[in-house]
Amino acid sequence: MRWRRLWVALLLLPSLGGCSGIQTSLGGDGADGASFIRLFTIFLVVCGIMYLLVVAALAVAIGRRRDGGRRALTVDNGSHHESSPLVRSALVGWGALIAVGLIALTIASFFTDRSAAARARHSSFAVKIIANQWWWDVIYTTPDSSKIVHTANELHLPVGVEAEVELQSNDVIHSFWVPNLAGKQDLIPGRTTDIQLLPTRTGLYRAQCAEFCGTQHANMALVVTVESKADFLNWIAQQRRPAFAPASPLELAGYRYVTTRECSSCHNITGTPAGGQIGPDLTHLASRRTLAAGTLPMNRGNLYGWVADPQSQKPGSQMPTIGLAPNDLHAVVAYLERLK
Amino acid sequence: MSSLCRNSLILMTAFALLAGCDREARDVRGKPFGETVPGPSPDTIFPGGAPRGALDPRLAAYGRNAYAISQGQQLFIRMNCVGCHAHGGGGMGPALMDAQWRYGGRIDQIAATIAEGRPNGMPSWRGKLTNQQIWQLAAFVRSLSGQEPKDAVSARADELSNTPPETQTRREPVMPADSAQQ
Amino acid sequence: MRRLWVGVIAVLVLVVIVAAVLWSKNNRSPDQSSGPAQASAFKAVPSSSASPPDDGNWTMPAKDYAATRFSGLNQITPANAAKLQVSFTFSTGTTEGFEAPPLVVNNTMYVVAPWPNNVFALDLTKPGAPTKWVYKPNPAAAAKGVACCGPVNRGAFYWNGRIFLNLLDGNTVAVDAASGKEVWRTKLADIQKGETITMAPLVAEGKVLVGNSGGEMGVRGWLAALDAGSGKLAWKAYSTGPDKDVLIGAGYRAPYPQDQGRDLGVTSWPPGYWKIGGGAVWGWVSYDPALKTIYYGTSNPGPWNQQQRPGDNKWTAGVFARDIGTGQARWFYQSTPHDLYDHDDINEILLVDYPIGNGQRIPAIIRPSRNGFFYVQDRRTGRVLSAKPYGYGNVYKGVDLKTGRLIPVGGMEPVPGRAVRNICPASPGAKDWNPSAFSPVTGLVYIPHLNLCQDMGVSNANYIPGTPFVGADVKMYAGPGGNRGVFTAWDPVTQRKVFEIKEDLPLWSPALATGGGVVFYGTMDGWFKAIDARTGKLVWQFKTGSGIIGQPISYRGPDGRQYIAVPSGVGGWAGAIVSADLDARDPTGALGFNNAVKDLPKRVSPGGMVYVFALPK
Repeated sequence: MRWRRLWVALLLLPSLGGCSGIQTSLGGDGADGASFIRLFTIFLVVCGIMYLLVVAALAVAIGRRRDGGRRALTVDNGSHHESSPLVRSALVGWGALIAVGLIALTIASFFTDRSAAARARHSSFAVKIIANQWWWDVIYTTPDSSKIVHTANELHLPVGVEAEVELQSNDVIHSFWVPNLAGKQDLIPGRTTDIQLLPTRTGLYRAQCAEFCGTQHANMALVVTVESKADFLNWIAQQRRPAFAPASPLELAGYRYVTTRECSSCHNITGTPAGGQIGPDLTHLASRRTLAAGTLPMNRGNLYGWVADPQSQKPGSQMPTIGLAPNDLHAVVAYLERLK
Repeated sequence: MSSLCRNSLILMTAFALLAGCDREARDVRGKPFGETVPGPSPDTIFPGGAPRGALDPRLAAYGRNAYAISQGQQLFIRMNCVGCHAHGGGGMGPALMDAQWRYGGRIDQIAATIAEGRPNGMPSWRGKLTNQQIWQLAAFVRSLSGQEPKDAVSARADELSNTPPETQTRREPVMPADSAQQ
Repeated sequence: MRRLWVGVIAVLVLVVIVAAVLWSKNNRSPDQSSGPAQASAFKAVPSSSASPPDDGNWTMPAKDYAATRFSGLNQITPANAAKLQVSFTFSTGTTEGFEAPPLVVNNTMYVVAPWPNNVFALDLTKPGAPTKWVYKPNPAAAAKGVACCGPVNRGAFYWNGRIFLNLLDGNTVAVDAASGKEVWRTKLADIQKGETITMAPLVAEGKVLVGNSGGEMGVRGWLAALDAGSGKLAWKAYSTGPDKDVLIGAGYRAPYPQDQGRDLGVTSWPPGYWKIGGGAVWGWVSYDPALKTIYYGTSNPGPWNQQQRPGDNKWTAGVFARDIGTGQARWFYQSTPHDLYDHDDINEILLVDYPIGNGQRIPAIIRPSRNGFFYVQDRRTGRVLSAKPYGYGNVYKGVDLKTGRLIPVGGMEPVPGRAVRNICPASPGAKDWNPSAFSPVTGLVYIPHLNLCQDMGVSNANYIPGTPFVGADVKMYAGPGGNRGVFTAWDPVTQRKVFEIKEDLPLWSPALATGGGVVFYGTMDGWFKAIDARTGKLVWQFKTGSGIIGQPISYRGPDGRQYIAVPSGVGGWAGAIVSADLDARDPTGALGFNNAVKDLPKRVSPGGMVYVFALPK
């Protein structure tokens, strides 16, 4: 019996891992996240107290020795039924405790909700995210259409600024979820939904698609970088530039392949003839932290592996295995690494 | 063991064994480095007599494969085939949902047409699409005229319509350009 | 007391009479939507420099630089039109959409066929008009794969002893009119990028003006000027991009502030989209010799999915005025900023002297635009004097004359994943390329046009050069009333419809107005009709072998009689279901037209004949 309890305790330990890290609901790195964690704590405390009281009552009930008639709580004489005053007052007290607890929870919940809604009216910075199977198209929109920035699978946000994120889907229902910043919102084809994010701590966070959307749903992540305003403006300015031109013969060969062969049928690289609109924008591919929507970290080896045979890394994804010749592969990867 | 228990056990074992039945293969890589596309369409005239070779096994592999047809349906829109051929009704390009094929209606002939291009304006896609994608498109194009079995085609269109989806077109008697088997 | 009352009543009656006299003097003549045409007391007249007196020839598709399509010949009248009979016919041997008018100069008729763009010279002095020569330019067949709306040709231009013609594969040629030999050939458009050329060139002041087609193919639109003698490029004005490419310089003055600014052809697009943004010049160019200015419109922006290209998308769907010598822009007016429905602006632009009251006339342009509005603009500045709807529409509220901006109704923008229904006018607009005619006798503009609405859904369009860049599924159908076509006689001065004729099929043929008071047009199932220019009453009709989508012309034959010639060969965008044998089971075929004319294959077949009519001797 003791061993079973030990096993249970050991099994529960890993759950503590959810308390920290780049993809945790308990991170509280955004304003919404922080307020929801406060609410969560209130719930935990109130419900925890109730739970302990219930357990205590159960312990008392079990521990009470049956003593045949002494201090019975109820008396049943056949003709009338009577509870002892102790039981009655205990029940009244218990009811009052429940009522107070529920009211406390309701009030806490109400205020948390109101504060989240109030924040939603003050966003000053707009991003649009269009979900596809199985990658995220991130578009920084501006009233001046010539300054629009397209990137993919990466979201940069300035700290302390409320971001209004407009969400659309090109195919099936996805769901956008950044656990650390809290808030989860579906992206539904044919509709535009939105979510407001107000990050309060700089750092890297991992977002995830939270609605089953097909065979590679598990590999549809997004890296959220929260940085200072100055860093963010630097990043946006760099993303607005057209792609860097190839600098070596190998890169030039790669450029030629990418802009005239299969790659340009799907991908766009601003400033080059490659104008495909159905795959992620590659203009600044090498500046991103991950490949294939968070499936692989961005490094040379993974870039080779992904371009050579994407179906072995993410089977069923929309990027086909082309079967590049080794020379073409070297050239293409060299050029892609140039796209900082 | 009671007879009810034994019978249930036999039934459950039988169902479990059914799981081993042939499921449709979902070939995502085009074993192992992509398919090849056959050469130009065979002509109707074979001087000296028609060759009696075996049919390309990919006809069955792609032609009746629901995954290939559905990937072809996506590619048909994304690669701008709809811009010329609409959803089978035609426009700049000929209609694909009828029974007339200028350059052959067999799947390998369609794949060759897509890869090579044709003189009256069909672009050549060799090098712009992988060969596996070309075969998937060819499978979808065949399904537009009702050539493929109903359990392999999509029951839904991806665009606005209030007519039955193009993949549910009823099959007309086909008048092949290539007399060597359809 | 009684005398006082009589006096008061007499004074009142006098006041009423004087007021009525003054009111009727100041008021224009009232509109009548039925009954005989009352031409306004103050008519618009064609600008004399651009519209010389009729010499009995037809040297350019529009008849004159002012684009009146009016023949001064008056032998045929409503009284005798019923006696019109076929004089001779000519078969081109092609069965694509036949849009080009025959040209008649020096008793020779030049027939311009659609692809393969052969030109036939017929000797009108001999009976049966035998062929003098045939010019076969042999354009590339692959061009047919990138021609959005049929491999058509909208006409050639006769100038100074030469015939100037555009070929589908992007070449412009000059052919000697007497011998049929090619003098020069210049390649201007690249079919690998999706460009073709279908428009009729305009030749003036020694310059051949040519524009490209391909607004649906992700091309960058332009208008080029070639030297008529050598074929060398003189200047090229793009329709998108930086000011130096669009030839916008110091002399440019837009009539409205939203069209004035630096590099608007770049800043009104997302990055890079102006390079594939459309603005093709596939329609009509008009010319004012007095002001040395050409006027033309640009096509829709690409892709049709408007969500991909936020911004006003300059300089698409608008009208340019340029100096013919240098190509520098004088002004630009964007009729449809950030176009949502493929409402190009390439329709014909008529040059008239327009009355503005007190007996004054100003040089103006009048034009029925694709977005459904009939614009009257001062052609010196581009300022809009009036813009009234000439067809049914429910997507635009109107044109704000203070800002010059078209006001959309709002809430009907096509976005991916959601179909928008009942958009009127449909993508071909209230009127597509087929031009109207203006009669200085009646002062009316005769507009053959459409009554179509559509459902539209859009999706993310992929850009691959040489393939369509559209991203839209469209299904068209008849508008309110059930008739798909309508022929309207429009008074440009009162901006009112004077009479209209409902047609079952869409009207895709141009109109011809004649001095005898008869107006001609054709229907898509082949009826060539003559109507009384004042009342709209049908006075004669003839069933030709195929649908009529080509320009009818009128000329004086060697025997002095007035002849009417019309090309008959259905096709183009509206007739593609017949000329290309499409399948009506897919309503989105032919960019939505399959559904609108799904009965057409039963009613007409492809063809390619010229019919010539005259009164009996």
